[in-house]
Formats: sequence, C-alpha cells, structure tokens
Amino acid sequence: MAAGLLELGQAFLVCAVAGAVALRIGLSVIPLYVVGGMLAGPFVAGRAGLPAVSDGELLTVLAEVGIVLLLFFLGLEFSLDRLLSARSKVTRAGVIDVVVNLPLGIVIGLALGWSAVEALLLGGIVYISSSAIITKTLIDLGWIADAEADPILGTLVFEDLFIAVYLAVVTSLVTGGGDVAALGGSLAVAFAFLGALLVAVQYGTGAFTRLLDVSDTESFVLRTLGVVVPVAGVALSLGVSEAVAAFFVGMGFATSGHRERIERLLTPVRDAFAAVFFLWIGVGTDPRLLAGVALPLAAAVVFTTPAKLLSGYLGGRVYDLSARRSVRVGLGLVPRGEFSLVIAALAAGGSTTVMRETIPALAVGYVLVMSVLGTVLMQRSAAVERVFVRFGPARR
Amino acid sequence: MTGARLLYAGAETTAVTVYESDLPGVGKKHEIELGDGSRLVIVTHNDGRREVFRRETADADSEKLFELPDGLARQVGTILEGAYFQPVRSGDVETLLGGDTLLEWVEIDAGSPLAGRTLGDADLRAETGASVVAIERGDGVIPTPGGETTVEPGDTLVVVGSRADCEAFASRATGE
Repeated sequence: MAAGLLELGQAFLVCAVAGAVALRIGLSVIPLYVVGGMLAGPFVAGRAGLPAVSDGELLTVLAEVGIVLLLFFLGLEFSLDRLLSARSKVTRAGVIDVVVNLPLGIVIGLALGWSAVEALLLGGIVYISSSAIITKTLIDLGWIADAEADPILGTLVFEDLFIAVYLAVVTSLVTGGGDVAALGGSLAVAFAFLGALLVAVQYGTGAFTRLLDVSDTESFVLRTLGVVVPVAGVALSLGVSEAVAAFFVGMGFATSGHRERIERLLTPVRDAFAAVFFLWIGVGTDPRLLAGVALPLAAAVVFTTPAKLLSGYLGGRVYDLSARRSVRVGLGLVPRGEFSLVIAALAAGGSTTVMRETIPALAVGYVLVMSVLGTVLMQRSAAVERVFVRFGPARR
Repeated sequence: MTGARLLYAGAETTAVTVYESDLPGVGKKHEIELGDGSRLVIVTHNDGRREVFRRETADADSEKLFELPDGLARQVGTILEGAYFQPVRSGDVETLLGGDTLLEWVEIDAGSPLAGRTLGDADLRAETGASVVAIERGDGVIPTPGGETTVEPGDTLVVVGSRADCEAFASRATGE
C-alpha cells in the first residue's frame, strides 16, 4: 500500500518535473514525459540502484485510463457533420495523407522482414500525426489564425476517423493471433460490439443529455467517467479496442449539448491521466532496446518525414493555398505523438517478439524524434519555406 | 476548418463581411474584413479565451494584437458595441443638441443657389427658421458669420434649428 502510493507519487512528480522542463525549453510535453518515464523506470534508475517507478498493474491501469480519455476527447471533438460539410476538401486531403503515408510504413515493415500484421502496425505508427502536439503548436505560433490551419486540422479530423476504424481492426488482428478462425471470431465480436455501441450512441442523445443535466460539477464529472470508463472496460474484456469504444462514447456525448462543459471540466482529468500514459510508455522502454532499433528508426525517420511533407503540401494545394503555405501544412503534420504510442501499447500485447519488443521501442524512438523534429520544423518554418519556394516544384 | 460561412453583410454604407469557421479541438475563428484589404481575425478558444489577430493582406501572416480571457472579452465587446457611450455625430449629418434642436452640416456645391451670394442676401433664417452658426471653408472655420459673408462653393455650412427647419434649409441649399 505504502509502496504503491510512494511509487505513484514518484510518477506524478516525474511528470511535473518533465512538464516544467518542457515549458522552459519550449517543446511539447509528450517527448519529455516519455523520457522522464525512461529515466525514472527500472532500466535507468532501477539499474543505478535508485528507487524506480515500475510498470506494475497500478500504473498500467492509470495509463489505460489515459488512453481511454484521449480517445474519448477525440470522439467528443469529432463531428460527422463537420467532416461531411467540408467533405470534398477534407476527404481529398485526408485520402492523399493516408495513401502516401500508411503504405510507406507497411513497406518499411515488410522490408525489415516483418509479418503483414507487424508491418500494418508500423504503417499506423508512421501515418498518424499528433493532434495534441500539432494543435498546441498551431496556437503557440499563431498559425491558428491563418489559412494553413484549415487543411492541417481537417487532415487531423480525417486521421481521427481513420484511426478509429484502424484500431478496431488491428486490435482483433493482434489479439486474434495467427489463427484465421479465431481472427474471424474476434473481428465479428468487435464489429458486433462497436456496431451496437454506435447505435446506442446514435439514438441515446436524449439519455446522455438527461444524464448530464446536473449543475453540481462533481456529479457531472463522475457521471461522465462513470459511462466512458466502464464501457471501455467491457470492450477490453471482450477483446475489442477500448480506445475505439471510448471514441464512440465521446461522439455520443458530443451531441448531448454538454460538450463544452465536458471539455472545460474534464480536460485537466484527461491531461493528468494522459501524462501517466506517456510516462508509463517511457517506464516500459529499455533505452538499450532503442539502440537495437537504431537502423529501422533511422529508416523510418528518413523516409516518412519527406512523405508527410509531400502529402501535407498536396493537401494544402487541395485547399488552394499558395506554395509557401502548403509547405507549412506539410511541416505542421510532421509531429507524431499520442496515437503512435497508443498503437505501440496495442502491439505490446501481441504474440511475437517483434510486436512485444521491437515495435514499442521503435515507436518510442520514432515519437521522440518526430515530436521534437516536427515542432522545431514548425518553429523554423520561415527558413524551410524560403528554400522550398525557391527550389520547389510548384512556383507561384 | 473549411466552409467559411458568410454570417452578416451589412446594408449600410460600409458593408461588413464576417467569415466563420470551425477549428476542431480549438474553437471557432471569425474573420472580419476591415475594408482596406486587411482582416481582423478572432480566435475563440473552447475555454473562452479570445485571441485577436490582424492580417495585413490575404497572403500575409496574421499578427497577434492581444489576448483576452472570456469575461474581459465580453466586457470589451459591450464597450465596442456602444452600450456605455454612443457617439452620435458619425460623420456627415446631424447632432442632437437636446429637445428637437439639431446641428446640421450642409455642403454647398457649385450648383447650389446659395453659391456666390451673401448670407444677408439669401436671408435663409426668415425663410427656413434655421440659422448659420459657422462656415467650414478649407481647413479653417468662420465662426458666427455675418450677413455680409459670401457663401462659396465647397463650403460646409453649420446650421442650427429644429429638425424641420434644418431639412428646409438643406433643400434650399441644394436647390430642390
């Protein structure tokens, strides 16, 4: 009991320090939480004989709540109407994004000699940009007021929808193992459960509205958590993606008329648990494994950065932006973060060594590099724009 | 996001065009055309914070002017709206002095029947009931002009009187 409390206290303390460092040096908090977890974990602090944070059940469950709340908020912000209202541009930019980046990751995985499922996991990790890092950087740099914010945020919305479907499928592929019959069974369960949930969410707006019609903030927060966490728990115990279940519950709450209040009251809750999730990812990562994946990591960075720049650039052109602003769209989509790590956490539950060790280590290294590289590229966009507009393919 | 929607186009002399768009995960963005090619960009965050930017030209980067928390933004908004003080003389026409008495600015062009005549000769006070209290000429002002003062094309006569008197004066001055 005392040991658990002490360990949890240490975890929050490390997050707080990492957050302070991030503020000081102007970087996103996500890579710093991960590095903080790595340093405080069994592989660095533990080996040095210092008290270490272990990725025991306590931290794992709290991290799981972090994943659930991250995806819940994604669903909360996600509006199908919004996607449909700007359909042609969002869809075109989003399709370019997925067609360029997802297959590239799959090809890299196959080139490393991995199985199809393992390669598909890598595809997802390199495809999905970080809504958290990108949105925050857009605000910090003032890009939010300019034209490039539209294609960047539009592409993120498309990615969110895609990742919900992707996670639903990939969870079944990973947990189903290699057995085709078992796989068919788990896919059927997944789609039956998620389909039922989607119907409940679609027709349950009135119930959600009544449930949250309470002025007391404490009850409001508890009722929200009292729906989303149990639903995610049921999903996971059925072998269905708890993240996608949370996403759907978020979509249901979005139409309840309480969206803004949920965002106002639960954002700090989400951020605290999300911090634990990022820390937990770091705690479970052996830095020596990072050294072991240096080559595939270098390959992933070298190939996927220009690919994201290209797809983002083309997405900007779909929105009729000038060459300079389209370059910014490309830069703005480079940071990877929370969702790549969610996929890595999913892979860690797999059956092969590649899934359990290589992919999580690779994903951590990749997110560390891409979150910092992407943020720095955005901060230094003026130089990149000059080079690109001078030598780039499309002058204007 | 895309699909900027035209919210309001004013029918008055200065048409106001406001574009509204969604910023998923952030809030909403409103852009207001300022008439000189620049735009005011207001980003309203989900937490209520307002960021106000100005964009010089269509392709320029927006420059942040200031940022206000929700409550302060609303307070500033009511002041801009004129809830505390309404400036009445808005350019060209008239100012209420109280009761039914107005100050009115009447421009004299070359085709005016008053152009080239003295105030005494035109004797508009007897005819319309409104009196000329000043003449704006070029950059200067002639205060309390006498009957011998000649009205020239390009002058603006500052007239005081009841609303009806001022209207009669204005129609005499334009010759209608």
